[in-house]
Amino acid sequence: MFSKNGMLTKIYTWVEERTGLSEILRSQLVDFTVPKDSGYSNTLGFVLFTAFFIQLITGVFLLTYYIPHPDYAFKSVQFIMNQANFGWLFRFVHVVGSNLLVATLFIHILVVFYRGTYKKPRELNWLTGGLLFFIILLFCVTGYLLPWNQLSYWSTTILTSIPTVIPFVGGKVTEFIRGGEYVTGITLNRFFAFHVAFLPLFLITVVIIHIFVVWRTGLYSISEGTQDPAQEGAHLFKRPVYPDGYPFYPSLFMKAVFMILLYIAVVFFTITFFQTLFLPEYANIKADPFSTPYLIRPPWYFLAPYTLLRLIPNKFIGISIQVVIIVLFLLWPFFDINKEKNIWKRPFLLVLFSTTLIVWFLLTMLGRF
Amino acid sequence: MKRLIFVVLTLLLVLSALAVAEAGYRDLFRKQFIDEPWAGAPIVKEGVCIECHTSKLMKPDYLKIPQEWKMSIHYKNNVSCHDCHGGNPNDSAVSCGTPHSGFIGTPKYDEVPQLCGKCHIGILKNYLKSGHGKALKAKRRGPNCVTCHGSHSIQKANIDIINSVRCTQCHSYNRARIMKQALFLTEKRMSDLDKKITALKAQGVITNKIDKLLFRTQAEFRTIFHTVDVSLVKKRTGEFSKKLDVISNDLDKVSSQLSFRKNFSAFLFMLFLAMAIVVVIIIHKGSD
Repeated sequence: MFSKNGMLTKIYTWVEERTGLSEILRSQLVDFTVPKDSGYSNTLGFVLFTAFFIQLITGVFLLTYYIPHPDYAFKSVQFIMNQANFGWLFRFVHVVGSNLLVATLFIHILVVFYRGTYKKPRELNWLTGGLLFFIILLFCVTGYLLPWNQLSYWSTTILTSIPTVIPFVGGKVTEFIRGGEYVTGITLNRFFAFHVAFLPLFLITVVIIHIFVVWRTGLYSISEGTQDPAQEGAHLFKRPVYPDGYPFYPSLFMKAVFMILLYIAVVFFTITFFQTLFLPEYANIKADPFSTPYLIRPPWYFLAPYTLLRLIPNKFIGISIQVVIIVLFLLWPFFDINKEKNIWKRPFLLVLFSTTLIVWFLLTMLGRF
Repeated sequence: MKRLIFVVLTLLLVLSALAVAEAGYRDLFRKQFIDEPWAGAPIVKEGVCIECHTSKLMKPDYLKIPQEWKMSIHYKNNVSCHDCHGGNPNDSAVSCGTPHSGFIGTPKYDEVPQLCGKCHIGILKNYLKSGHGKALKAKRRGPNCVTCHGSHSIQKANIDIINSVRCTQCHSYNRARIMKQALFLTEKRMSDLDKKITALKAQGVITNKIDKLLFRTQAEFRTIFHTVDVSLVKKRTGEFSKKLDVISNDLDKVSSQLSFRKNFSAFLFMLFLAMAIVVVIIIHKGSD
């Protein structure tokens, strides 16, 4: 087949003549050098990209049976879980995958912050990445309601009621999100349209920009420290070439493959041993607007902001603090203009970083009760 | 300046057109969808009964009724006030005030079985044939449904309803004990199967068919019990045992499907873990 005149060789030559694919791959994979010290933590972006792709594929399969209607949504999800061939596998991968995707995203952000790789010229990397983080959270919010179970219904009721604390317009904002006074079939349709049509388009666009800016700026080397020799005095940024570095392929590529395989293994590990972790009992009871479950709370990744909002008596101050945190987070590279990237040489930043982590963890734990 | 005015005017025009269009559309949409029950908009289900029974006008004893009802098996199964008491749940004027609307407030002691028997037909039939029913009919005493099951806070029945405290109110516990022993094994099996079904439901398994089958079997068995005839219960226990075997087999099939899921995902976990290990080995060999 692969002989000189074999069919596959002919196809390969035909494609190659028209696209020059091998040259593109060689220049982007082999000639693209990465710093000598780049390791597994540099591959989290690839893991996230794959994780999103898995969500996309499983989501499309779920779409073939899912019906976005209050009378049938729960039933159709039950059908997927019980009767559709391997439907349970796709649903479990989608549900567990969404949670692990958020967890990986958290780790990715922490690594980037810890390494200070949001600094010039990588501000756009951070900005688009931060935007992606919020889009993913929107995916989670909109997707959470779709199974139309008690957990999703009441969690959405809680989450969509948060804007009501904004004076004057809060109620209108909530009404706009819900498409009425309560979470109803209109909300379900609205969230469904966002989840499967609008958000994917938005996400793909931002992902393309994110990948472009990451490719443009290249990977960060710890040895860069406070200065980027390639950029000194330059008006136009040039991607650093690391003479002592490694080609992206196979060095970092294989590490990325390992991390992706590990991620998928963790997904299946969770499905095998913790099937009810993300689908507790309330997730298997059809939504009932007349019956509020005894203990209902938002998903784990919203617990910290939710607890913070509960702890602060004045809800408007509570929501304002969160908005300030979000703006600070998104525009952080423009606030932190210190050139030093090593966090260990910046005690204030180190304290801020660790305190934020500890407070986040404590608020999340507190939110569980 | 002219250009600015033009832009502002155009914007205003577009925005007003959008606002008008949106307002019209919203009304139409609300009428056709939001106010429809399928949209899930809360509709008055409990009716005027709850309104009065939670108001200050109500006698203190009657105020606790809604709360008791909300904790009952009837509430869980969407059995509302008017299903038992009749009347119109949407209009108090043609409900509580006028008897001809079919409203029954507190039924007389000997009328209780007829009230419950509107739905529990088989049980009523057997109850009326039993010593309990005959006593009620003859002396207007004897136990009625409420004696054992309570009124508004009715819970799912179980064998422990038969106990020395309750039964010795009228007679010795001896006969009741014999009946309880006759029921025990079948009731225990039914209770175990019920627990299994509940556990499966919590895992998202569709159990409607098995659930209904168990419900029917349980109801039939308990209908026989209401004759208070031990020999009849003993005679028909074998028949119910066979029915429970069928349910048990169905549950075993579901359990084996769940085991398959677990094994399959465990296999995929091992597969991807093994692939990851192979890749690590390749990376390390490459770096050597």
